Amino acid sequence: MQPKNTTHKHQRSLANYCRTGEYTPIPGVKEKNVGRYRQLIFNNVKGSLESAYPLTHNLLAQEEWEELTHEFFSSHKCQSPMVWQMPKELYEYVLETNYKLADKYPFLIDLLLFEWKEVEVYMMEDIEPYPFTEKRINDAGLVLNPEIQVLSLEYPVHLKNAKDITKKDKGHYFVSLHREPETGRILFTNMHYPHVQVIEKLAQEPVNFEELLKIFLQYAPEQEAREALQQFINASLNSKLLLGQAIINSSSIN
Amino acid sequence: MIGIGFRKDFADEFLADNKLHPDFVEVAPENWMNIGGYWKKLFKKVTEKYPLLTHGLSLSVGSPDELDYEFLGHIKNFIAEYQPRIYSEHLSFTKADNAHMYDLLPIPFTGDAVKHVGKRIRQVQEFLEQKIAIEIVSYYTPVAAEMTELEFINAVIDEAGCDLLLDVNNIYVNGFNHNYNAEKFIEKLPLDKVAYIHMAGHEQVADDLIIDTHGQPIIDPVYQLFEHTLKLLNKDVPVLLERDFNIPEMDELQKEIDTLRSIKKKNLKIHSHAAEKYNA
Repeated sequence: MQPKNTTHKHQRSLANYCRTGEYTPIPGVKEKNVGRYRQLIFNNVKGSLESAYPLTHNLLAQEEWEELTHEFFSSHKCQSPMVWQMPKELYEYVLETNYKLADKYPFLIDLLLFEWKEVEVYMMEDIEPYPFTEKRINDAGLVLNPEIQVLSLEYPVHLKNAKDITKKDKGHYFVSLHREPETGRILFTNMHYPHVQVIEKLAQEPVNFEELLKIFLQYAPEQEAREALQQFINASLNSKLLLGQAIINSSSIN
Repeated sequence: MIGIGFRKDFADEFLADNKLHPDFVEVAPENWMNIGGYWKKLFKKVTEKYPLLTHGLSLSVGSPDELDYEFLGHIKNFIAEYQPRIYSEHLSFTKADNAHMYDLLPIPFTGDAVKHVGKRIRQVQEFLEQKIAIEIVSYYTPVAAEMTELEFINAVIDEAGCDLLLDVNNIYVNGFNHNYNAEKFIEKLPLDKVAYIHMAGHEQVADDLIIDTHGQPIIDPVYQLFEHTLKLLNKDVPVLLERDFNIPEMDELQKEIDTLRSIKKKNLKIHSHAAEKYNA
């Protein structure tokens, strides 16, 4: 229980002014200097948002960006004590308030999600993968890089420059973002639904080629399915979306 | 020991070119906790090479809101993992009405605030099971003050039973902005509680206003105030160079570290000679 004293009232007034710009006189405050706090705070918040959302910042007209960031910071109460996580709240704010710019830019929510997930996967805590080897093991399950997120999007924000996207592009798109173990870089993979099903299956446990093939066989004849899956696996091993094959016991390694 | 505020802006250069030789590094735990990947690897490298001190940003000890024990738990885990020699925070608030501000706002110098902040710092120390150091912040306007800044700080430190982080540049900035003598101000602080010193540059933006930017080199009057402080302190405490913006070449930062080191060395020598003479 916090005491309801005037000290706290004045602190809340100052903080409210810094967020919203609505100033209620506070005893002793130098009005010509108090604006510095609002300016410093807002510049700091805006800088963090621009760093997390460079594509969105580039897409919006300057006044649109200013208005969005001002409205976000004044009407939303930022919850994360870690400033690098705060930009996630802008995405949530636009989504939850059905922000007006979403009419002009129907792909805005997808773009914000895509940009935020890049930050999130880049920064996320390390996840220990299933034990694996890069050597080839007969019939052993493939090991998924656990530092991955798969996004389902309505607009191809991962494929096209945002300024070139129109309503005609609306559809079903999938993209995965994974963190390369050695460098920490984020790599994007454009996917179709069967690829997503493969990732979802591998996220449960390592699964071997023949088992994964059953997914692809739902969509293509056997030869075509085999080739497509093999191609996907080779590319994924190359990009470290797949890390290798599961180690069951040492004798199974060729 | 002379340290550097370790920032992502120059992290790669710092580790790669070997031009900067601090005795320790300081970080804000908020920027390095609960992360993985590239920055975690790099941070581990740094902490294997240098002793670590920490300086928090978001605990908001002066906040009218409840203390965030979940966040404090993350800080405790960070301290357990990296074992920093000092955990410090600011005598300010960064959160009100359940909204983070991500910058330091001045607490009103009032009796209520002394009791409230003193109690919260004690709660933090109990939770973390260690003493913390609290930094006197720079400020650009007083807020509903009922006592002087000096009375406020001394009362909080006494009430909280914590250590003091003395940011010499902040005292210089505050002395200028609020028209008091910075040397005399420092003389009246509880100097036996000083566990850590910060040094930084600032920017004068008006005839009567300096902003504590950490974006410029330290100016001579702040070095002089640092020397004055060392003469008053009868002990060796770590000293940090903070540079958060307009990051220069590493050798420019090293020159500032060298200057701080040389001022400190000279004054510690004077102390040790004085002590020898006294004990003889």
